[in-house]
Amino acid sequence: MIEVKNLVKKFGDFTAVNGITLEIKKGEIFGLLGPNGAGKSTTINMLLGLMKPTSGSVYVNGVDMQKDPNKGKENLGVVTQETVVEPELTAEQNLSIFGRLYHVPKDELEKKIGFLLDLADLKAFAKSYAGTFSGGMKRRLETVKALVHDPDILFLDEPTTGLDIQNRTKVWALLRQINKERNVTILMTTQYLEEADQMCNRIGIIDHGKLIALGTPAELRQKTGLNTIIEVSADRDDLAKIAQAFKKMGLDPEIASNKVVASVKNDPVGTMEKLIKAVNATKVKIQSVSMHEPTIDDVFLKLTGSEVRDETGSYAGRPMVMGRR
Amino acid sequence: MSITSDTITLFTRELLIYKKNIVPSVARAVIFPLIFILLLGSIGNIPKNVPITVVNYDNSAGSMGFINMLESGGSLSLTSVTNQQQAMSLLAQGSTTAVVVIPGGFSDSTSSQIFVYIDDSASASASVASSVIGAAVAKFNSRMIPGNLQGAGVTVITNPTYGATSNNISFTVAGILVLVATSGAIFGGGFTVLSDRELGNLKAFLITPINKLSLMMSKIFYGTMQSVFSAYAALAIGLLYGASIYSGVAGLIEIAWFILLAGFSFSCIAITMAVRMKSTQTYALVAQTLTLPMSFLAGALIPVSSLPAFLRPLSAFNPLTYAVNAVRDIMLKGLLPFGTFMIDSAILIVFSLIMLVMCALLFKGMNE
Repeated sequence: MIEVKNLVKKFGDFTAVNGITLEIKKGEIFGLLGPNGAGKSTTINMLLGLMKPTSGSVYVNGVDMQKDPNKGKENLGVVTQETVVEPELTAEQNLSIFGRLYHVPKDELEKKIGFLLDLADLKAFAKSYAGTFSGGMKRRLETVKALVHDPDILFLDEPTTGLDIQNRTKVWALLRQINKERNVTILMTTQYLEEADQMCNRIGIIDHGKLIALGTPAELRQKTGLNTIIEVSADRDDLAKIAQAFKKMGLDPEIASNKVVASVKNDPVGTMEKLIKAVNATKVKIQSVSMHEPTIDDVFLKLTGSEVRDETGSYAGRPMVMGRR
Repeated sequence: MSITSDTITLFTRELLIYKKNIVPSVARAVIFPLIFILLLGSIGNIPKNVPITVVNYDNSAGSMGFINMLESGGSLSLTSVTNQQQAMSLLAQGSTTAVVVIPGGFSDSTSSQIFVYIDDSASASASVASSVIGAAVAKFNSRMIPGNLQGAGVTVITNPTYGATSNNISFTVAGILVLVATSGAIFGGGFTVLSDRELGNLKAFLITPINKLSLMMSKIFYGTMQSVFSAYAALAIGLLYGASIYSGVAGLIEIAWFILLAGFSFSCIAITMAVRMKSTQTYALVAQTLTLPMSFLAGALIPVSSLPAFLRPLSAFNPLTYAVNAVRDIMLKGLLPFGTFMIDSAILIVFSLIMLVMCALLFKGMNE
């Protein structure tokens, strides 16, 4: 579906994308993650044919995006980061103008618009101006707008940024439905790791212009060697005492603002029981206890977080790259 | 798919947005010319029916023609008296602004002359009188001899302004037509490129499989449309306010042609600027600094003759000059002679094409 080979993009001395190779298969939901300035947007702009790579190639459905970007674009539906619906056009007009720009035949377009408005749950608002819509409605309209020409690939740049949890869930459901019913390949970037975890079949993590990890969410968790996480929260003053109890159990605890956290390798449930008993014996009052599998959050921090923190000096270059969005 | 159908689609989009914002859009097209015409249209044109007194010692067909000409514009209200003494006493009383004495032999002598006495204590009326008389004198190849009344306060102003024989407001309206046409292009064409970029629409269009040039053409057509709308709103206001078109309906069509050319070329300029600019403020600043001097150099508001001498030659290189002159001549003198029409049109067309090519080159290289 999408083939990226040795993609490089340089801005003067600065290398924004440094040799990315990636293949996305039909019907996949693929998530592209990375901190700000990692080269995500630059990669995406090259995938969309909006920017010419310094070297390397991008093929979408077998079409070389450098040689024939317009042919490639016919197969792509794009939802950009900034919600782009035209506030001064009605929902219907929004879809109709884009359908015509994608050269959808007129008789087909009318049916298509009805269907898409239904899909986005906006049928009742067909004749309302998009400017009057809530954030979630706009996002849903924009998402179905990207489907007006029946693309094989749907491309979403941070599809749920700025949405409340209800609307986010609605957009997720919509995307799953599109993926399942129409077998549309979805490529999305996101800053919500939870979203990537829940939605994506595979995830690629980009940092410093390089693809540093690629795999299913489960694979990534495994690779980073993180185990079950135990957290115990209590009053600030008591945290040191709790950490002592952790250490006696042979764990390597870290004290956060209001909790003590540690990764447990063997028998996490048994360890937890013993830990609670040990802490209770010190007469410290526990506020809450929790245990969870490592999330993509933990993976992401482990893979990129330390590096970002180490290289404070490189921040000078980062806003520049963000500006090129 | 063809660039034409994409252009039509994108232009339809602009029209839908225009329709949604019909009230502010129309208001903008009307308010700007309204202010200009109210503020500038009356310059040198406040007095009507300025009373003047004529003493005709000649009484021939020629002198009657001269008198008819003084009356024709409607600016003067003529009274005839039989002798100069009577007329001069009226002038001394202040009941007439000027006295015109036509001596015998006005029409048969090779160097015909008239005597003019003007009371300039009411300067506006005096200037109307002198310019109308001056224009008539020029038309009759006659010579005006400034008269002299005992006592101070009487001089003759002999510098007829452009088109004073007709209606001074038409002069101003003609210039304002072109001025609002350019500002229509600046607002309609350029600003929408910037606002589309700000909202992300530009990127949204660029990821569709269309030719970038269809986006450019739709913007240029939209700018041109705004130009023509604004200019015709200005013309309607001007006509209501008292301007006139010498050549009637045919003139309207010729004016439309020149407004179209001016609007088109200015839309190209506006979009060329907007493609490379990120902020609306910069654009507004650059657009102002470009259009204001250009419209002054074109003589849109004041005659080029009143500019400093070293600036006057520049007006020949200003394409707007040709639009202003063409529209002004159509309003004041009638349809353009074929040669002038072709030259003015050719200059504007060549300029438009240069700007169009420049705009297209910049547009091709645009990313979002």
